[in-house]
Amino acid sequence: MIAIVDYGLGNLFSVAKAFEMLGAEARITGSPDEIRRADRVVLPGVGAFGDGMDHLRANGLDAALHDAVIRDQKPFLGICLGLQLLADVGEEYGEHRGLGWIPGRVRKLNVESVGLKVPHIGWNDVAVSRENPLFRGLKANADFYFVHSYMLDCAEPINVVATASYGEAVTAAILRGNIFATQFHPEKSQDNGLKLLENFIAWTPSATVC
Amino acid sequence: MLETQDMISFDAEGVCATCRQIEYKQTKIDWDERLKEFGTLLDQYRGQGPYDCIVPFSGGKDSTYTAWALVKKFNLKPLIVNYDHGFYRPTVLENTERAVKKLGVDFLKFKGDWQTVKKLMRVSLERKGDIMWHSHCGIYAYPMHMAIMHKVPLIIWGEPTSEYVSYYSYEENEQVDEKRFNRVVNLGMNAEDMVGFLDGSVTARDLFPYTYPNLADLRSIGYRSICLGNYIPWDTRKQSEIIRDELGWKGDRVEGIPFERYWYEKVEDAFQGIQDYLKWIKRGMSRMTHLASIDIRNGRMTREEGLKMIEQYEGFRPASLDVFLKAMGMTEDEFNEIALRHVVSPQVPPDLKTVPRGPELWDQKLWTINNDIA
Amino acid sequence: MDAVRNRMLKARLIPTVLLLDGRMIKTKQFDAFRDVGNPTTVAKVYDAQRADELIFLDITATTEHRHFLFDIVSAVANECFMPLTGGGGIRTVEQACQLLNSGADKVAINTGAVEHPAFIVELAKKFGASTVVVSIDYKRNAEGRNEVYTHRGRQPTGLDPVVWAKDAEARGAGEILLTCVDREGMMNGYDLETIRAVADAVTIPVIASGGVGTVQDLADGIVEGHASAVAAASIFHFTDQSIFKAHCHMLEQGIPVRK
Repeated sequence: MIAIVDYGLGNLFSVAKAFEMLGAEARITGSPDEIRRADRVVLPGVGAFGDGMDHLRANGLDAALHDAVIRDQKPFLGICLGLQLLADVGEEYGEHRGLGWIPGRVRKLNVESVGLKVPHIGWNDVAVSRENPLFRGLKANADFYFVHSYMLDCAEPINVVATASYGEAVTAAILRGNIFATQFHPEKSQDNGLKLLENFIAWTPSATVC
Repeated sequence: MLETQDMISFDAEGVCATCRQIEYKQTKIDWDERLKEFGTLLDQYRGQGPYDCIVPFSGGKDSTYTAWALVKKFNLKPLIVNYDHGFYRPTVLENTERAVKKLGVDFLKFKGDWQTVKKLMRVSLERKGDIMWHSHCGIYAYPMHMAIMHKVPLIIWGEPTSEYVSYYSYEENEQVDEKRFNRVVNLGMNAEDMVGFLDGSVTARDLFPYTYPNLADLRSIGYRSICLGNYIPWDTRKQSEIIRDELGWKGDRVEGIPFERYWYEKVEDAFQGIQDYLKWIKRGMSRMTHLASIDIRNGRMTREEGLKMIEQYEGFRPASLDVFLKAMGMTEDEFNEIALRHVVSPQVPPDLKTVPRGPELWDQKLWTINNDIA
Repeated sequence: MDAVRNRMLKARLIPTVLLLDGRMIKTKQFDAFRDVGNPTTVAKVYDAQRADELIFLDITATTEHRHFLFDIVSAVANECFMPLTGGGGIRTVEQACQLLNSGADKVAINTGAVEHPAFIVELAKKFGASTVVVSIDYKRNAEGRNEVYTHRGRQPTGLDPVVWAKDAEARGAGEILLTCVDREGMMNGYDLETIRAVADAVTIPVIASGGVGTVQDLADGIVEGHASAVAAASIFHFTDQSIFKAHCHMLEQGIPVRK
């Protein structure tokens, strides 16, 4: 069972439907116990960093996530805000502490000086920098749908497995052991997105986070 | 190919995408490997249930070849499913009878209600400048209903679309599924839309044959809908000769193209000439251009020869339009007015009053639709 | 043009689906309704043709029929995994929430934003700026100037579209959907001058809408109009042009789009 974490933010409906379309059993849940019992965990989300962390903490979901993902090493997929919350710190509307699983800061996209629009909205090519099972079967530079104003600046570049070009190199996906997350929305990226989700369903992480 | 063709795009060397696909097909595909794959696939379905597969069939060169190959070369037991759009010509009906008997296969034929078809043809012409919506949808949806009804999950079609246009490339394995139905078959209109367009004069039930079955029902039989042309290299000329020799398949004269060179082409549809005429009005090119392009791509004709043939055969108002107008109770002025609304920029609309009339086909007066006019 | 080429971000082609009592319709200058199909099956066609996003705008006036928008978005989100924007009479946070929970990714607000600009702030704070699309309808008034209209083009506001767009941006809007009422449904091309004026005035993306008749119009919207996305409807219903063909044409013009 794939637990899709409901912490009050984001379009959970589409994430759930996508997994259903692919034949996987997925459940939208805000219950810490259910999350601990799940085989895989998905953290979606759209909205502000601070709000996101407040909601996770208020409902004991941060502890549940820690148990399921860090302690029990279940395969994890974070989407959009679900990627950003993995950072140490987020700068949106003031400084906020994140889950701290991926060293780094979440800061605003630095593109206005080159005349680009913010938010970064639309389909952009994603270049995979380190081969991994989540992008298997996808064409090189496959495009995915992005909609965000902030990005995760990783302190350890090894964690970044894919980037998109938007005035600067935007972190598109991170991978660390059993923790995988994307800035783009696979559940909104038609065939490419469904392929990636299919890969996630079948994924057995070879390494795990200590 | 003119720039008004569907999906045309040119690369840095000025070569269009479809030509590059043909290049790919000819040089980069390991056809032995694909054949092996096909064999493995067929083994999964062979011998299960009443039939090994469904073969959607029109009696034209491609579906006849597909049926022949699957029976004679791949030893399958198919159910032949023939959607009848209402306009089959005498030669193709004869061909079908002969082919089905010689091959020794079970044959299922379905014809949709003519009163409904007339309404659909009218709306299709008005909305898209194409009279055959019911046929496009019936051909691709009806066999899927038969697959579900008869519980035969494997459906094998003939040539992949990448042979002619760039909706799919030869690198992809084209699934003949609902996505494809919505992408390239139904002109962007579904049965549910038609119910609204026709203002309640047809119901969803009336349009059942043209409605793609839902995914859940198809998944319940474990459906797999594929193109033979993804597993063997498609060669229409060679294949037409095979069915001519093995099944006595006969070609026929068609409006707007020379018989001697293209005796096998689009012979099954009485109103093909009208469809081609509409394409010529909308896009400034028609079947002759399409066929010449194929021949040029495959190295069988020079560009100069092609242009000469186009000059000679395109730009005629088909005689068969008389039959259509009578069947629909429409005047030629009405037809022209609707057709001109669909001209695709940068094509300049022709003066339809001065287009010369083409010669009448030998069987035009024998078409069964003449009797259907009520 | 260089700014366009240097991005790896593709220009977006967004078909717009207008809804009336659960059916899809098309209008001309916001009048003269014509039925153009069943919204759910039309959405599936657009998805199969790889449209970049879909926008659903419900012009049903009454509150009893509000549920159509949510139902249709859900039905579409069930099978189409692509970005969906919904709008039409959204005036409260609860309605916006319901729309997002139905499967929409972005909420378009129009009259609601003009009447209560603080509504933009509220939505942006709760759902994130990138979720909020401020939809601006404008027409040329008796003095020959562009003026923003609400209530489906019926009520003048005295606002200039460029000024209102900047205001909306300042309050937290993530995108602007700009529709020229005079050109809507007429298939005579976009009002490129105004689109460029708005696009150049804000740092958020602008979606151009109203007037597309040919695939060249779409290309012009990006190149001349400086829009980030081009919306269209009539061209896909009253001609046999399709999303595929439009993308192809734009690619031919050197505009980065999805292949």
